Amino acid sequence: MRRVNADVALGLAVLVVALLALLVWVPADTGSGIVERIRGQYRIGDAMGPSVAFGLLALAGVVLMVESMGKKAAARPRASLGQGQLSFLLIVFVIFFVSLLAMRWIGPAVAGLLTDTGYRPLRASLPWKYLGYVGGGMLMVGSLISLAERRITLRAFAIGFVGALVLAMLYDLPFDDFLLPPNGDL
Amino acid sequence: MDYILMGIGAVFTGPDLFTLGGFGIPAAPAMLFLGLLTGIAVGATPGLAGPMAMAVSLPILISIFGVRTEALLPVFGFLIGIMKGATVGGAVPAILFNIPGTPDAFMTTLDGHPMTKRGMPKRALKVAHLSSVSGDTLSDIALFVCAPFLAVLVERFLDLPEKTALILLSLTFIAAVMGSSVGKGLIAIALGMLASMVATGQDFHPRLALGLDALSHGFPMVSAVLGVLILGEIFWTLDDHWRGAKAGKGPIAAATDGPDGLRPGDVRRIVPHILRSSFIGTVIGALPGVGSTLAATLGYTLGRKVHAKKKTPEQADFGDGAPEGIAATEAANSAVSGANLIPVLSLGIPGNAAAVFLILAADSIGGFNPGPGVFNFTYPQVNPELVIAFGIFTLMALGNLLNWTIGGVLMRAMGVMSRVPIRYLLPVVLLVTLTAIYVQDPRLGALWTAFGFGVLGYLFRCLRIPHLPFVIAFILSGSLENTARQAFSATGGDPFFLFSSWVSTCFVALAILTVFLAGRAPGEGRG
Repeated sequence: MRRVNADVALGLAVLVVALLALLVWVPADTGSGIVERIRGQYRIGDAMGPSVAFGLLALAGVVLMVESMGKKAAARPRASLGQGQLSFLLIVFVIFFVSLLAMRWIGPAVAGLLTDTGYRPLRASLPWKYLGYVGGGMLMVGSLISLAERRITLRAFAIGFVGALVLAMLYDLPFDDFLLPPNGDL
Repeated sequence: MDYILMGIGAVFTGPDLFTLGGFGIPAAPAMLFLGLLTGIAVGATPGLAGPMAMAVSLPILISIFGVRTEALLPVFGFLIGIMKGATVGGAVPAILFNIPGTPDAFMTTLDGHPMTKRGMPKRALKVAHLSSVSGDTLSDIALFVCAPFLAVLVERFLDLPEKTALILLSLTFIAAVMGSSVGKGLIAIALGMLASMVATGQDFHPRLALGLDALSHGFPMVSAVLGVLILGEIFWTLDDHWRGAKAGKGPIAAATDGPDGLRPGDVRRIVPHILRSSFIGTVIGALPGVGSTLAATLGYTLGRKVHAKKKTPEQADFGDGAPEGIAATEAANSAVSGANLIPVLSLGIPGNAAAVFLILAADSIGGFNPGPGVFNFTYPQVNPELVIAFGIFTLMALGNLLNWTIGGVLMRAMGVMSRVPIRYLLPVVLLVTLTAIYVQDPRLGALWTAFGFGVLGYLFRCLRIPHLPFVIAFILSGSLENTARQAFSATGGDPFFLFSSWVSTCFVALAILTVFLAGRAPGEGRG
């Protein structure tokens, strides 16, 4: 019964969001109307596409509510969105954020400590161009393996280090014009 | 006939990948072979799938070969190789370790693993290889015959309003047949359309961008598609591991039941099952959005009924290790892959994830727009798109030839891939995917966009909203809007242009009927 209610709630939420977008967002955030007249000829404006899409979304919400009211509860409890899923997403977000932060700043930080020139002139030379990618990649892979195993191990980060290093070489050695993250941003 | 020869010529006389003993090795066949190797390895690895490898390799291929017309066939060669290799390789973990790497391989475990337990893994793998390649080949023949005729019919009889209505019908059909609910399919379609409309349009104002600079250029297709398809799947599977929901590998029993390898009479026994299931797979594959899982289920169910009536007492029942069961499943799910390209090449409408990446490749490189315009047999002017189309057919035939000759050996050799723990593999695949995105769009912002779409893909899976309709709508939305704009202008601003002919009226009526009357296919919850 809980599952049916969840789908009805989803349908209702989708319907409300779609109607609000149709009435408020689309008129305010499109440059031309649904249909516009240019030099005496009618043309479809930029608001037509989003209006049709939000209209379809509203219809989807109604169809989902009707379907859910007429069906028995699904047997699969895994297919739901609850605290467990949101916690998982939060952890993955933190891992991703910290890993990209490490990827972006490890190279400049080490270069700032050890050289006078900074990172930018060194970003195309070894080992500097691998520093951020391997460091951030190791953190990302190691942390995600640790998350899946529910324990932090040296083995997970060793796999991350080796994996990131092998990938860096696979991308960088045969192809001169490939930029590894984050060197395109620096 | 000239076009067929030109297509074959384009494959073998294209740019060289490297030289060997003074002879140049043409890039397209060489890339096909490399793609086949990759595809078999990926298919044999539980948790990985062909589309995943296609997604990761596409940006790299484009960076290697560039965005010029000569790049089309080598890039298509690699992607087609992966598609064909993964079709064959998918049976390996199902047979050896009772692990269905993909949902459609579940039926293969029912007879494949019992045969392994009885000491006949090689026999089971050979039956799977024979059936899979046969199904794929027959399906490709259907593609070669049907796609040009369908395209010519569409081009001759369908004008702009009918084409608009046809895209609408395709989208609603995909929404109706994928996933566990029409409503959820429509949500995916609507969201896919909306995502692709951000900051596009004809006015200077970037629509739906909320005034944010970060959204003022829209969402890059590669980040969006890879995010929903690949990152979403990785997060979903890692979440399963996090909860400890995944079962361990099944052991391989050492018991033997006679010598391993194909036995006399095996081929004769499985041929009727291969033919029947190939037909089922081809018909189902030609419908956009209907997956190989349904084909495998139908092929297996029908095969079981026929086998129960005709089998001799010494032959195993379906589910107890019958080679016919493997044949019925593998031929059906492999026959889907070739036929899935019928709507792509004839209508420009992708029906599955593999087709999405072929369209994405064509879109990124340019010079080839899958759709009815491709099969325009011009003379004496050469239609370069038609040459590419016959080049694709040549590559597919060549892929089948490779699969027939060396595919079986490679497939059995890749058994070792089934032992790689998926919890170690997926984070590395995530890093590969992010690197591939960065290679094409060197901004950390592109990785955040992919992450955002990955979260969306994960939420879709949590809420049992099918994710593939989102991707297909994202790709088709631009065509739908452009065709509708042109149709509206061409009919002099007729607001009822979708009802301007009986054909387009029929398509619209069918689209509405599909939404409200489509029967639900059970067990398709993972999109």
